[in-house]
Amino acid sequence: MSGWLLRRAVQAAATFGIALTLLFVLMRAAPGDPLSRLGEDRPLSLREIEVLRARYGLDQPVVKQFGNFLEGLVRGDLGVSIEYGRPVTALLAERLPATVLLGGTVLLLNFGVGLWLGVRQAVRRGATEDRWLTALSLTGYAMPSFWLGLVLAWLVGVELRLLPAAGMQDPLLSSDAGALTRAGDVLRHLVLPAFTLSIVSIAATMRYQRTAMLEVLRLPYIVTARAKGLADREVIWRHAWRNALFPIITLFALWLPILVSGSVFVEAVFAWPGLGSLAAGAVGSRDYPLLMGASLLVAALVVVSGFLADIAYALLDPRVRLA
Amino acid sequence: MPPPSTIRIIVPRRGRGRGDRVTRRTRIVIVTALAAFSPASRAGGQSSPAGASIVIVTGQQATIPIPTLMEGAAANVGNFDVADQLFLRLADLGPGLVTAGDNGFLPGLARSWTRRDSVTLAFELDPRARWHDGAPVTARDVVFTFSRAKDPDLAPRLATLLRYVASVSAETEHRVVFRFSQPYSEQLYDATFHVAPLPSHLLASLPPELVAHSDFVSKPVGSGPYRWVRSVPGQFVELTANPDFFLGKPKLDRVILRTAADAAARVNLLLGGQADAMDNIPPPQDNLRRVAAKPDLRLISVPSPTVGYLLFNQRDPRIRSRPHPILADVRVRRAITLGLDRRRIVQAVFGSHGAVPYGPVSQILWIRHRSPEPEQQDVTEARRLLAMAGWGDSDEDGTLDREGRPLALQLILPNTSAIRRQMALLVQEQLRQIGIRTEVHLLEVPVWLERRTAGDFDVDFGAVTQDPSPSGLSQSWTCTGGSNVAGYCNREVDSLMQRAVLAQGDPAEFWIAALRQMEADAPATFLYAPGYVYGVNRRFSNVAISPQSSWLLLRKWSVRTARTPQPGK
Repeated sequence: MSGWLLRRAVQAAATFGIALTLLFVLMRAAPGDPLSRLGEDRPLSLREIEVLRARYGLDQPVVKQFGNFLEGLVRGDLGVSIEYGRPVTALLAERLPATVLLGGTVLLLNFGVGLWLGVRQAVRRGATEDRWLTALSLTGYAMPSFWLGLVLAWLVGVELRLLPAAGMQDPLLSSDAGALTRAGDVLRHLVLPAFTLSIVSIAATMRYQRTAMLEVLRLPYIVTARAKGLADREVIWRHAWRNALFPIITLFALWLPILVSGSVFVEAVFAWPGLGSLAAGAVGSRDYPLLMGASLLVAALVVVSGFLADIAYALLDPRVRLA
Repeated sequence: MPPPSTIRIIVPRRGRGRGDRVTRRTRIVIVTALAAFSPASRAGGQSSPAGASIVIVTGQQATIPIPTLMEGAAANVGNFDVADQLFLRLADLGPGLVTAGDNGFLPGLARSWTRRDSVTLAFELDPRARWHDGAPVTARDVVFTFSRAKDPDLAPRLATLLRYVASVSAETEHRVVFRFSQPYSEQLYDATFHVAPLPSHLLASLPPELVAHSDFVSKPVGSGPYRWVRSVPGQFVELTANPDFFLGKPKLDRVILRTAADAAARVNLLLGGQADAMDNIPPPQDNLRRVAAKPDLRLISVPSPTVGYLLFNQRDPRIRSRPHPILADVRVRRAITLGLDRRRIVQAVFGSHGAVPYGPVSQILWIRHRSPEPEQQDVTEARRLLAMAGWGDSDEDGTLDREGRPLALQLILPNTSAIRRQMALLVQEQLRQIGIRTEVHLLEVPVWLERRTAGDFDVDFGAVTQDPSPSGLSQSWTCTGGSNVAGYCNREVDSLMQRAVLAQGDPAEFWIAALRQMEADAPATFLYAPGYVYGVNRRFSNVAISPQSSWLLLRKWSVRTARTPQPGK
């Protein structure tokens, strides 16, 4: 097992290295100069451009820039954002908690509610509840999240004024408000963006889980379990569900990067101060250091989640290890 | 609609058994959730600002609102808005925003100024002025600030703007003298507008390159009506009234500048009662209608510094040494301008809050008030000019042609500008009606700027934000102007602009003459000069908004009715 783990870890590290190099090269290959945007409203003089180019190291050859980036990476220094004029690590650290909170909530809802409903559907296959949930999940899956977000912000935030239409916290909240009040405030702001993002993801998870469960429920060992007189709950959750988890692990690994990547549209619609909107802004302004920092984070989590999925497969099914 | 004070939940009765258990559980969850989110338990988000506080929603958050550090990407509205509250200038522009001459300016840190000769101005600082830490504002602070601002390695933008300031010296504790390299009419403007003084007693000991990373940036100490409280990244900046402000304590105790990059989110915050004021409510018109429909909000239209135009490339995009095969001909350029119903286009996008400019002149430039009216649409004249230039519809396909070449143009614009996207389609349709085919190319901003800078376009749909001084026009519209990407060159315009910039008396006549010549040359079709429409809660009185800077006059605002603080605040 340890040899297998080591091989997988080396593969993951190599994948990360390749992704890093590709990201760096592709970013520079894309048309558009990071400084050109600064002159969008007010044209810059040649002197200004020269000074700024030197300040951000853009006057160096690309290979040297990559070397500088790697050197900084080793020291934990990702450079200074062109757009914000501040260290990239500080910017990422500021935005990460909001993204993790939103992404974590979505993951929790997705794999909590989605799995439970998917199993319920499979167990009640063909019943009215199954038909309704199928219709609802397909509707949810077909709904664009940015549109749903706009509708919810308008209806719940503006017309009904039940929840905040945007933001992550009430800026007028007294500085001596207790932790519980603060948590409640953040929670109220979290509801709409989390709900918007969850609708689509829950629908997908439900469909996957339903299909996987249906396949398992048909297998002879389930019939045997029932014949032994085991309770329904035990047959479903202990015998069937464990084997129906494999496609869900893959799905989870695919969804895990949302923890740091955020959602550009939903963050924008709800003015959620996460990494998604930060990274999207960096793409639009060709803010290389910030874009590399954000991409690095996402790439790392993609690689790590793939690695974790491999381990989970191996733990659940020894045949994977042997293969 | 006010939020309901109570919420009644009606749950239909169901039969007993397992389903009933689920229903009961569900009911408990729903009731708990609604109780937690009901208005009575809210901590504030839905509630409106309490007492004399104001929440302003803007598109950009201040990151470095420090004079001399607002360079490059930091030279943005978010930083300027906050810097205007923290740092007072020596003097401010008067309501007419006239930048020429020594009259019409309003005292700030300087209570008076005198002209000693054509190149020397002396400012008398107000001895009551104090920094937020209690130290007096002195002439040393002004000298220190200008030494930093004029260093091109530290502040290339400011150094360019202050190029005619030869020296700044302290004569006494409260008297500072500016000497200029030549006589010109905007000396007072240059000495006061571009940079507000910094506290030398806090910064002089820091190496200049370290200031941007010092504690001063995270907790600035200024001389203005508001003090820094905190910044929550990506969310808001909080300021509090300076009780010792020498021009009178502001009536609003607390100012929150809340950030939402997306325009729809900003409008929702205003409409949902989570913000009291919003700058620049953007088109579509529906946004304005929604705000206007709210009885507690009002709309205020303010002249804006933006001007948008269709810039004609006079050089061939493929070989820059050659003239443009179509647009080098002034008759074609004039025909395009006359073929467009600019008023209708502006009306369609901005409603009554926009205007057609005369020349590249935004609504905040004072010379606008002395400019003639822009030309009206004249399709007959446009067609005549095109025919004179040799363009006719020989194959009767609706598009004019000459020597087998269709009159087709590429129009480039950034994909982020909803205003220009909408206008481009109207332009395309109106030009089609006079036989000109236009291909609209929406480009990502960096790509658009790269192509623009390289002169790789036929027509560029550009828009610029102008300072109140018209002298910035020479950058884009003179033969050697650093931003003249379209190859427009008329020596007479150059000469008129130079005379206007260096005039010692009223430079208006030179500016207007230059604009007249530009209208005749048609280097661009000057399409729109919008007003910015602000949404402000009616509970505020003495609401004054300066076109120079959105919230500059906030210290004069007051509140009519304080709202009841919500529980938890």
